[in-house]
Amino acid sequence: MRLRVLQRQFQNALLGGDRQLLTHVAPTPGADAEQRIDIYAQAYRLRLQEALEVDFPKLRTLLGTDPFDELAQAYIERHPSQQPSLRWFGRHMAAFLTQAAPWSAQPALGELAAFEWAQGEVFDAPDADTVAVAEIAEISPQEWPRLHFQPHPSLRRLDLYWNVVAVWQALDNGEAPPPLLAATKAQAWLLWRRQLSIHWRSLGVEECWALDAWRRGASFGEICEGLCEWVAPEQVPVHAASLLKSWVDARLISVLVGG
Amino acid sequence: MRTTTAATSRPYLGYGLGLRTEHYESVLRQRPAVDWFEIISENYMVGGGKALHFLERIRADYPMVMHGVSLSIGGSDTLNEDYLRELKTLAARVEPEWISDHLCWTGVEGYNMHDLLPLPYTEEAVRHVAERVCRVQDFLGRQILLENVSSYLSYDCSHMPEWEFLAAVARRADCLILLDINNVYVSSHNHRFDPHDYLNALPAERVRQFHLAGHTHSGEIIVDTHDQAVIDPVWKLYASAVRRFGMVSTMIERDDNIPPLDDLLAELEQARTIAAPILKSLVA
Ligand SMILES: [Fe+2]
Repeated sequence: MRLRVLQRQFQNALLGGDRQLLTHVAPTPGADAEQRIDIYAQAYRLRLQEALEVDFPKLRTLLGTDPFDELAQAYIERHPSQQPSLRWFGRHMAAFLTQAAPWSAQPALGELAAFEWAQGEVFDAPDADTVAVAEIAEISPQEWPRLHFQPHPSLRRLDLYWNVVAVWQALDNGEAPPPLLAATKAQAWLLWRRQLSIHWRSLGVEECWALDAWRRGASFGEICEGLCEWVAPEQVPVHAASLLKSWVDARLISVLVGG
Repeated sequence: MRTTTAATSRPYLGYGLGLRTEHYESVLRQRPAVDWFEIISENYMVGGGKALHFLERIRADYPMVMHGVSLSIGGSDTLNEDYLRELKTLAARVEPEWISDHLCWTGVEGYNMHDLLPLPYTEEAVRHVAERVCRVQDFLGRQILLENVSSYLSYDCSHMPEWEFLAAVARRADCLILLDINNVYVSSHNHRFDPHDYLNALPAERVRQFHLAGHTHSGEIIVDTHDQAVIDPVWKLYASAVRRFGMVSTMIERDDNIPPLDDLLAELEQARTIAAPILKSLVA
């Protein structure tokens, strides 16, 4: 019996109830081959399900435990783990919810999953020092336009149509969640980590544009130009500077790159 | 902290615990009288944040060993080089006393079942595993420890007992052994063998660490759940192991239903209490 063949059959028993392994299990008193394989098969599903419960606690509360179990089993079948760590097992959940029936009929679920997954990403994203206000004060006026900044590695952006952040918050407070509501336009959200704690807040239209432009590598000068769409040109420098200061205060910026 | 036992010149760390997220704060606050901690390597293969923050602070005060669950040393896919690189990077950060994983496989064709699946005890498997252990040891630049796992089925193609398989792999690959006393007990029940045969067959000089843990009965089969206190028969087997192997770094492994740190400290004290008179009599 080649090792690889045996392992493939064992894995197939866990993934899809394949029965070829049965013929290779030695008879031992206490339990028959089927029962013995079943211990592994059940443990496999339970372990992966528990990983999803950890990553999507509010999705579980919102759906209820039994419907969540059903979702988890469908997800486990569709996306068997291919990573050394269970940490990444749930990474397709938001997309899965938007694509697979019956969950795809409730787009809010995918957004709630995306919000919870983003929190996880923020939680253990790489560490980095952040820029202090004093460092900005040292930059000379002629350097400002060509200034670039690097975001803290934990920074994440989400665009959400549904009020899933309010739902999450209510559930986290142990309150009844508000009814699910969709807006006609997506609301931009920013998530990041400050020291060890996860933060998030919504973004206004022009701040969202500026932040996205910054993350794409735009210079301070380019951001100022773009802001003219929302802000009178003479007020743009002050407005842009106050945005930058608020980002620095929130510990969003880890490196300033001079012109 | 690190001492060497006279009999075998085996590095000895004393009595340790598995480091768990639930205990980060208490460990820093209490600085408990634990000699060392074992970390699950995969839990710290992340960019940053809480886990690495506490790891660094706790490491500053305690020796550590690294314990992995995804090496899949018995798997028939090629060794996962990305994983090995991450392991080596983490080891450079933690500077562990040693690195261990399990004598098992975790998946094939790129999949990970996240379980410690049993190997057939064949000559083919000995050769396969030993050759992979050698490559891992070359890559890491150090010997690794392999742990015996709990298992719930055995294969009809196996033609040696588990202890012979473990001993053969260890000798052929020149690696070390992490002996999980609870797993010996669990497997001896599930496969109906005498656990003392297991202890007696292992090359004593290669046994570097003990695990102690609790388990759950599921009908006629015992499942290795690590969610309960260590039971009396396992303590008795531990005493036999201390008699057989002498001073071996010992720890309690609790992964689920995690109690307050003080409960685990009390359990660890029980290990000390059991081992102390035996070790004394061995020296005398
Ligand atoms: Fe163990």
